[in-house]
Amino acid sequence: MKDKPFALVGVNIAGHDAKDLKEVVEREKLTWRSLADAGALGQGAIATRWNLTSTPTLYVIDHRGVIRHKWLGAPGEKVIDAALDKLIEEAERSGKDAPK
Amino acid sequence: MQRSLVGLLALVLVLSVAAARCAGQDQPASPADEYKALLKEFNRASGGGPLSDEERTKFVGRVFQHRYKLAQKFVELAEKYPADPIAVDALMQAVWQVNTTPWPVELVGKDEAGPRAFEILERDHINSDRLGPVCRRLSFGFCKEYETFLRAVLENSPHREVQAAACLGLAHFLNNRLQRLDLVKEQPALAKEFADLYGKEYLLELQRRDRTAATKEAEAFFERAVELYGDVKLPDGGTVSEKAQAELFEIRRLAVGKEAPEIEGVDQDGQPLKLSDYRGKVVLLDFWSEA
Repeated sequence: MKDKPFALVGVNIAGHDAKDLKEVVEREKLTWRSLADAGALGQGAIATRWNLTSTPTLYVIDHRGVIRHKWLGAPGEKVIDAALDKLIEEAERSGKDAPK
Repeated sequence: MQRSLVGLLALVLVLSVAAARCAGQDQPASPADEYKALLKEFNRASGGGPLSDEERTKFVGRVFQHRYKLAQKFVELAEKYPADPIAVDALMQAVWQVNTTPWPVELVGKDEAGPRAFEILERDHINSDRLGPVCRRLSFGFCKEYETFLRAVLENSPHREVQAAACLGLAHFLNNRLQRLDLVKEQPALAKEFADLYGKEYLLELQRRDRTAATKEAEAFFERAVELYGDVKLPDGGTVSEKAQAELFEIRRLAVGKEAPEIEGVDQDGQPLKLSDYRGKVVLLDFWSEA
């Protein structure tokens, strides 16, 4: 996925500040960036605004910033991969067509 | 894995709420004693150590089947003592086990008692001031009977707080149902599970409906909740208005097809991170918690 127009971005909603989140991320061996949403569990500013009720909650956002999929609970790798592949292809196509 | 966790969470919720309700009961009469004995059995869950995913799924199945069977006894109790105040408790307990995950019917069995329980609740107890908790609970389900009941309570309950719970509950129910229908559309294998659980006709009829109009209807009930019951307090400390406004924001701004709202914050290294930094890339945004 490295050379593809794709990014996995986490938002940890357990309420840690950045410093505590660093420990959790290292313990869980996560290799991607996660936002810290400081506050009480599930009550941080981001979780509140995004009306989070359970984790994992997944959103897929396309290259134009539009929400294309939303999953409350993981739908399984196959479903996620299929959705991402399709949108990544879309992003690559639009990159080629764009005026230079 | 997620399915198991949500299921267990739902169980814990059931146990604690039911226990709290039980503690509040103080009826020496024999119908109440019969009710308490059933409730004790309802709440009796096998404990013991961490379970594997497979064991946990089996466990959830056992609990559901056991409780659906007991639900019939709760209904029988309510029918045996129709004039006793415990009849309302028994009927609410009969419908308390809501399949929120939703677990497949081969695992959890059928909720045979539900329709009858709702029929009696609506016919004999629509004026009860105690229907709020069950309205909140039903909002997480999918059954056709839940919608019918929530609408009946909203239109007929004389108690403002119960109306508030029914209005918010109905809005949630309609909105949750739409999200589940989206899942079914995306994962056709789920269609059979839903048809088995809730009826093929019902599912087909829902799938034929216009999604935009159905969304508008959910929105309208959230708006009605803000307008008429905004100040009513919820058990979690917030108000009906706060909860309904958050849901309206989600429907209007966080739905598929909408531009994702900006997120600005810091990552685990204290580095500033904006969602819009990733414009031009496909982003999998994963809200997670290790807890």
